[in-house]
Amino acid sequence: MTILYLVLPLALVFAAAAVAAFAWAVRSGQLDDVDTPPRRILFEDEEVITRHRRGEPT
Amino acid sequence: MIAAARADQACLHCSLPVPAGRLSQFCCAGCEAVYGAIAAHGLDQFYALRDAAAPAHTTEQTYTELDDPAFHRLHVHTGPDGQARASLYLEDLRCGGCVWLVESAPRWIAGVSAVRVDLGRSRVDVTWNPAATSLAAIARGLDRIGHSPHPYRGLERDALRRREDRALLIKLGIAGAASGNLMLLAIALYAGMFGGMSRADTGLFRWASMCVAVPALGVAATPFFRTALGALRAGRLHLDLPLSIGILAGLVWGTANVIRGVGEIYFDSLAMLVFLLLVARWVVLRHQRRASTAAELLLTLTPRRAHRIEGARELDVPVEAIVPGDLVRVLAGEVVPVDGDVTAGRSTFDVGLLTGESAPFDVAPGTRAHAGTVNLAAAVEIRATAVGEATRVGKLIASIEASSAKAPIERLVDRVAGRFVAVVSAAAVVTLLAWSVRSVAAGAEHAMALLIVTCPCALALATPLAVTVALGRAARRGILIKGADALERLATPGTLFVDKTGTLTAGKLAVVGWRGDIDAAGMASAAEAGSSHPIARALREHAAPSGLAHEVREELGRGISAIVVGHHVLVGAPAWVRQRSRSQPVIEGWIAELAERGETPIAIASDGVMIAVAGLADPIRPDAASALHALERVGWTVHLLSGDDARVVQRVGAALGVPRGQCHGSVSPEDKIAAVVDARKRGAVVMVGDGVNDAGAMAAASAGIAVSGAAEIAIEAADVYLRSPSISDVAVTATGAQDTLATIRRNLRFSLAYNLIAGALAVTGMIHPLIAAAAMPLSSLTVLVSSQRSKAFRS
Repeated sequence: MTILYLVLPLALVFAAAAVAAFAWAVRSGQLDDVDTPPRRILFEDEEVITRHRRGEPT
Repeated sequence: MIAAARADQACLHCSLPVPAGRLSQFCCAGCEAVYGAIAAHGLDQFYALRDAAAPAHTTEQTYTELDDPAFHRLHVHTGPDGQARASLYLEDLRCGGCVWLVESAPRWIAGVSAVRVDLGRSRVDVTWNPAATSLAAIARGLDRIGHSPHPYRGLERDALRRREDRALLIKLGIAGAASGNLMLLAIALYAGMFGGMSRADTGLFRWASMCVAVPALGVAATPFFRTALGALRAGRLHLDLPLSIGILAGLVWGTANVIRGVGEIYFDSLAMLVFLLLVARWVVLRHQRRASTAAELLLTLTPRRAHRIEGARELDVPVEAIVPGDLVRVLAGEVVPVDGDVTAGRSTFDVGLLTGESAPFDVAPGTRAHAGTVNLAAAVEIRATAVGEATRVGKLIASIEASSAKAPIERLVDRVAGRFVAVVSAAAVVTLLAWSVRSVAAGAEHAMALLIVTCPCALALATPLAVTVALGRAARRGILIKGADALERLATPGTLFVDKTGTLTAGKLAVVGWRGDIDAAGMASAAEAGSSHPIARALREHAAPSGLAHEVREELGRGISAIVVGHHVLVGAPAWVRQRSRSQPVIEGWIAELAERGETPIAIASDGVMIAVAGLADPIRPDAASALHALERVGWTVHLLSGDDARVVQRVGAALGVPRGQCHGSVSPEDKIAAVVDARKRGAVVMVGDGVNDAGAMAAASAGIAVSGAAEIAIEAADVYLRSPSISDVAVTATGAQDTLATIRRNLRFSLAYNLIAGALAVTGMIHPLIAAAAMPLSSLTVLVSSQRSKAFRS
């Protein structure tokens, strides 16, 4: 079971990286507004709308 | 292509049925205008994206006040790139369709670079090029598509809250990750305990647990340590104290055991505990934020605009830009922005929000007008003598703000926690001494185990969970409760002061009594057809006009004369009518009788003879009596406390079954505060009101409740804001608060029972870390279920 001495600290490093990523996401304001972005993702890009209106394939 | 609407046709914009006979496919002009604006910009995709349809309204304002330098200084920031930025509050933001429509603004307003919507806060951040467009033009554009903009006034507060929220969220993430990883390590350790594991491997897992737990909990549990320390310094008891003791004991003892290589570690249970507590805090914070955001947005809605007269022209400017000496015009329906003297125009003002008087107040050139009163009838010009904080209402607000910081109440859970600390510490000492007879190491082991397993997780969840459920349900019913404290303050019955205007009564005049010729009502209604005086409005609502009126002559504040179907009709104050017509003893008796009852008598004469008397008063709301009885049933003593005339207050009190001694009229704002302070010596006091004159009393009371339509300062001073004007929601709030406290008590009993069992096992040395690890989430789950089953605010 000596492999444990390698993978266990490695796993903890991964966990720490995940926490750091989360902290970065919070600090950069990505979780300030959780109501609007899930809707915004559904909007089409302007380019697509214009092409659609001209009857071109999108 | 536009034909008369069919009966089953739905409005193209809002999907409501189109009224029969309308020559368009829209239910109203507002929807038609908004649809036109949307279609003209090629934004029809809105109708595919939205998921809620509602009638649109536009205000057609010019919004020129948004371009005033005074407004820009306060609300607009210019970046280094020359782009200007401002935040606005938008009305009627509801769904993805609205977000899309508003965010597409750069496409159809030239000069706008970006618009970002925050749906939860109904807020937009607009960036534009000041050289190409102006904020007023942007505001007009947004208004035309059905979202009236208002300046957003909470930016600094938002930034502060955002910092707090982010800090808590990061701690929550750390605690969550730590508790998950520690549980994995713990499962390995427990498996090894039963299946056999080499000493070296066990040691590895224990060291790994420690390396995760100590730094993670050291960071994540700081909020508890900080409050516990603060409470200790202030000499107060707080629930975070036993929590901190438990967490610290667990960390220290666990670390010692890892280093020694023997004994139990409790890191997994501790991490789970901290994680659960932070989750509870986060949820409560979100609920409170939602309630206060909703209340604050109401404040944003009040206009901060004035029409300044500059020579021949009139300009809309922000209220902040008005200085003493300026001449302002106040249109009918608007709030007077300054203190000053009326220089032109005659009108009637509603001074109810400022003084509590229900009778309309007539103004003419030379009359003093006060900020915060409402112009009801016609446009007047006012020369400002005092602005902002120097106005009467401004001084009142300043004095309220200075005194409104409420002393924190000793929460039920903190009292329990205080006793809890004492009992657990005593038990720990006894355990240590008792076991030390056999071995000091065993004594320390068991005493520490006791401190750790009795760490009151469920106790700490008991209040937040119950409160969260209550706040959420109350908000859905239109009751905005600003904090958990307010619920506890409302739960103990005491004295309830109710302001009359707007809460018990409708807040506007209506005909409540009629003596004499019934047909005179139609004549009076016809004579008053063209007047916007509140008395005229009441008479019109009382009866349909019996014909058209000619030769109408209105003497403001006295009465009106007209020819209605051939009769010369006089409607007005008895004294004025009496001078112009013949009275009779029976009529004089009616006038005296109505005045005695606290109603305003209005005499009606036809062809020189007085024939009828109408009694006008602010009618009592239909649900007021049952609501007051419901409040009395749950233990409140109801008092009426009003700035209105004493006779009027007595009349309302008598109609509602409130004893004479508990009806107080002609009470000034200062007297209201004094009454509240006096009553607080005898117990809890709740003040219900809507006016500026109530705000001080609300701040002084143990809890203040503002009803719909309340003045800005009243909403700010109140702990609870009712979206509906009805008094019955006050009863709902009071019983809901009591039910919430009952749930909190039940939760506390559950968690204390768990702690008793776990504590007993620890003292006798029979505790196993696996039991601790299982019992902690189990007790929290019990509390969660118990909170969900609470009957508070259930509809």
